[in-house]
Amino acid sequence: MTDSLGQFEQIVLTAILALDDNAYGVTIHAKVEELSRPKKAARGAVYATLDRMEDKSLISSWLSEPTKERGGRSRRHYRIEKSGEKALRESAKTAQRLIETITQALGGVAWKPR
Amino acid sequence: MEAALNAPPEWLERIVLLAIPPAARESVAGDLWEACQSPGQYAAEALRTVPFVILSQMRRNLNPPALMLQGMLIFLGMGGPATLLLLPLLMLRDAYRPISRPSPRRAIREAILLSSGAMVLLFLFMSIHPPFPVRGGVDSFTWLSLFLAALFLSPFLCLFRAGLIMQGDRRKPLTAGTLSKDALAQAYEGFLRGSFCRNVLEGVALAFAAISGFFFAWDALLVGLFVLAAIYLLLDSLPGMPAALDFVSLRAQYQRELARQEQLHRFLRWLWFAPVLVALHNRLAGPAAANSLIALLNCVAVAILCFLVAALNHEHGGRVQEEIGDLDRARESF
Repeated sequence: MTDSLGQFEQIVLTAILALDDNAYGVTIHAKVEELSRPKKAARGAVYATLDRMEDKSLISSWLSEPTKERGGRSRRHYRIEKSGEKALRESAKTAQRLIETITQALGGVAWKPR
Repeated sequence: MEAALNAPPEWLERIVLLAIPPAARESVAGDLWEACQSPGQYAAEALRTVPFVILSQMRRNLNPPALMLQGMLIFLGMGGPATLLLLPLLMLRDAYRPISRPSPRRAIREAILLSSGAMVLLFLFMSIHPPFPVRGGVDSFTWLSLFLAALFLSPFLCLFRAGLIMQGDRRKPLTAGTLSKDALAQAYEGFLRGSFCRNVLEGVALAFAAISGFFFAWDALLVGLFVLAAIYLLLDSLPGMPAALDFVSLRAQYQRELARQEQLHRFLRWLWFAPVLVALHNRLAGPAAANSLIALLNCVAVAILCFLVAALNHEHGGRVQEEIGDLDRARESF
């Protein structure tokens, strides 16, 4: 059985999935802010979540070549692992069930979160 | 995506670099640079980000058994308030563990500073702590002994640390920039095999030490710790060699196992020295401590032993972190 993901972990994992090969600190933070609108996401919270998920083997990371626009520093790229993909699928299923239950409770009117 | 409009001022960047723990420095400092729009925005973003990074590194490097053992030794030697003060500092120090092997020159400088500092601290401690006979001022003979001991110990400590570093320098690095998946799998398999043999041998040695400790009337807590550590090592199942992992996943697994084994051995190094440290502490609390010179020599021995264990952990940890970093940068060759 996979560990269930917290809401912020779901958002960060989704961001990594959406960014594919371009998932590193700056882009992940920007995507997380986009996904968690109107709430702001602290960059530090994104790093802490990435570290935690890496320790849980949900994602893996590596360093790229140093680049000039980063002051000669490397990017840490992230990628979802199989266990991360599985945990994200289960979270999506739960979210889907929630939407269906809310739709039913509202009398069959298709419900969309604002 | 945020575009870098400005580079941060050099002095500000230097401060931020110092504040970020080494393991996250490269990527976090690069991200902050890339997102920099003005010096003020850079400073504010760094202030918001760095505390999270420090806490995350403290959590990642947290080694509860080693910390508990260190806490127990500090508690026995210095009491509760010192333990409460020193444990968070130890956790913070672990967060700032180096990710490369130190230079022998730096090790020599640190050994001199540490041994002199330890002697001064010992003097202060002995002049205020009630169990010691040296109270209300220390005579010139004790002062002189402390500084002479510091002078005599410094070269020994320097040699020990420099020797550890040079021995590590002789090891062949795993990667030279590129690495094939097969070579990585082979290195990982070799590491797993080596770790398994080492853990079994150390587990058996710990079990023998626990048995002899029982006969030599060691502290029951210590015997229990040795037994638990031996059982853990003998039952610890290392992950099997994965069959169908790609280069990135295999590398991540290798890095995690390297870090796990290093954490385990950091604790074990403290555990091996714990009986000697406890015995020295018991002597300090016993009638022998009435002689100020014996008390002083015991304190010096405790300081040297703690330095030796810390140096072993520091140098070995640095090499493992360097290996993890090399793997981070390795590109797959086909």
